[in-house]
Amino acid sequence: MTSSAHHPAPMSPVERRVAALEALLTERGLVPAGFIEEITRRYESEIGPMNGAKVVARAWADPEYKRRLLADGTAAIAELGFGGPEGHHMVVVENTSTMHNVIVCTLCSCYPWPVLGLPPAWYKDPPYRARMVREPRALLAEMGCPLPEEVEIWVLDSSAEVRYLVLPQRPPGTGGMTEAELAALVTRDSMIGVARL
Amino acid sequence: MSTPLSLPGLDLPRRNGELAFDAPWQSTVFALAAAVIEHALGGDREPFRQQLIKAIAADPGRPYWESWTTALEALVPTLPERPTP
Repeated sequence: MTSSAHHPAPMSPVERRVAALEALLTERGLVPAGFIEEITRRYESEIGPMNGAKVVARAWADPEYKRRLLADGTAAIAELGFGGPEGHHMVVVENTSTMHNVIVCTLCSCYPWPVLGLPPAWYKDPPYRARMVREPRALLAEMGCPLPEEVEIWVLDSSAEVRYLVLPQRPPGTGGMTEAELAALVTRDSMIGVARL
Repeated sequence: MSTPLSLPGLDLPRRNGELAFDAPWQSTVFALAAAVIEHALGGDREPFRQQLIKAIAADPGRPYWESWTTALEALVPTLPERPTP
């Protein structure tokens, strides 16, 4: 830490507002000591797309697991130890060579946190939220995921009730891979549905 | 190839080039909302979600975590006086 050698940067208006909220909520006893650090640590290091990648790899490797996953996403994901806030009512949708699912939250930023972590910046931005509904094929192409005309696109609007996770297609030539090797191939974007593997 | 999985979280959450938070105040306000939901609302996320929807709709171009802050500011005065157990 070298910050002690410098004057602290002046706080921006939003930083001041957050500091005021923190002081108020701490005074009301709602923020136990260490709580902010613990939540931040969890979201920066434990909760993220690597969890979803493990779910996808298991589904690719184990047809019986895949069947359970598509039938009851929440329960099958919980088998691997992932769940909790923002992870209730998980619905897993499968991408195939003729059907492409992509997820969006048109109202705010609903997202399957336990398996994908926090949403990326673009997921929360108005252009993505509006255009993925209006012109998904064009937006997907702009995002580097052009789809042939014959592939049907399903845009799924996440909500407080349902959180979607896309099960991407298993890439060709991965037959001999272990589950861990498969998981390393799975990207966050493929589980949102804005990329194919 | 499989090493990132043996160290869960050290590499993969940053895949696709994005960190979860861009600045400390963002993780702080994220955690404050979690604290309110957990310790004042008994785990019910819906009141905060409704405020977030309102905040985003009121100013769609505003940076996300600023809308989040606005939503939390709007929620706090509506909280029950005593934390629910």
